[in-house]
Amino acid sequence: MTREALFETEAMPHLKRLYAAAYRMTGNPADAEDLVQETLLRAYRAFDRYTPGTNAKAWLYTILQRVRTDALRKRGRSPATVELEDDGPPVRGGQDDATAMRDLEGALRAVPESFRTAVVLRDLEDLSYAEIAVVLEVPLGTVMSRIHRGRALIRATLSGRKD
Amino acid sequence: MSDEERVTALLDGALDAAEREEVERLLEGRPDLRAQLEEERALREGLRALPAPEPRPGFEARMRASLRADRRPSRLRFLLPLAAALFLVAWLRGVPSFVAFEVARDHSKCFSKSTVPAKVWSDDPAVVAAWFEKQGTRMPLLPEGAAHLTLVGARYCPLGDRSAAHVYYAGKQGRLSLFVVPGPVRVASTYDREVWGRHVHFLQTAGATVALVSEEPEIVNAFSREFARSVAAAR
Repeated sequence: MTREALFETEAMPHLKRLYAAAYRMTGNPADAEDLVQETLLRAYRAFDRYTPGTNAKAWLYTILQRVRTDALRKRGRSPATVELEDDGPPVRGGQDDATAMRDLEGALRAVPESFRTAVVLRDLEDLSYAEIAVVLEVPLGTVMSRIHRGRALIRATLSGRKD
Repeated sequence: MSDEERVTALLDGALDAAEREEVERLLEGRPDLRAQLEEERALREGLRALPAPEPRPGFEARMRASLRADRRPSRLRFLLPLAAALFLVAWLRGVPSFVAFEVARDHSKCFSKSTVPAKVWSDDPAVVAAWFEKQGTRMPLLPEGAAHLTLVGARYCPLGDRSAAHVYYAGKQGRLSLFVVPGPVRVASTYDREVWGRHVHFLQTAGATVALVSEEPEIVNAFSREFARSVAAAR
């Protein structure tokens, strides 16, 4: 199988999930697309170092996170201070469901990025704690603490809205 | 790690058996932690049910196009080997041993046919020289023959990227090729080389590099002497 065909099989199926994670990191479609595009270009160039059949998903999220960190460093910003710019993806369903989802999306977006990314990788992208530790390049204990803190902030925001 | 963090890890199945047992025992006496567990479970379900943001139309196509563009090799990747190859050819065409190999191969090729593939047939050196003059090649004074070989004819033969005047001599005793090689060949005055049983002798005369090729070294030597005599006579 050629390098291109292997990349198509191993990496390209993750395109939409990468976009979803990138969107929740950056908060707007244009930045999310740039982030995914740069991620896949870097992945393609480094594809010789990837062992086919291993964890492509975690490998791609690791690159995604590095590209994001590099971009923020260039702009002189830390992941904790990212502004979120639009209302999030469209929500379908009944009015109550739609309102609940919009509130949840808003609460997630209000969480500082370092905590939000940990929650997104765990709850939306279904990565294990060990995989998240590799992606974020932090110890396992930090992953646990960021997920806990991220969820606590979302819960606090939601209960504040209910009050 | 705080008790609250351990509850988060319990929900996510990130504790080993002993830790899980310990946290489960802890939950029995801590309604606040049980409430946290339930709230986090509900929150996790809610997050999992959120619609995935979809990229804008055409994103996947744009993504594939940029990957294709990245795969396309840059011009430099072609130009550098091409420049290296051209440099190598330019260098090789001036190396006498390489040119000796080329003329020996062409001599064998032409004389392997039942009749040599001459374009001009004559035993008169003036006729052959005039034919080359017409094509733009100034020939040194050609001998009529030597070592019982006589002039048969001539043509241009390709030597790598250039064309050399190739003059055929033949007789019962053997055959000989006389090449006038265009361009610089790094030969000081004369140069001899044996290539696959063919004797090659280079000499510089009147600004041209002449190569004599034959299976018999005596024929080459006789022609070399004859050539030198006719050049000296012309002066």
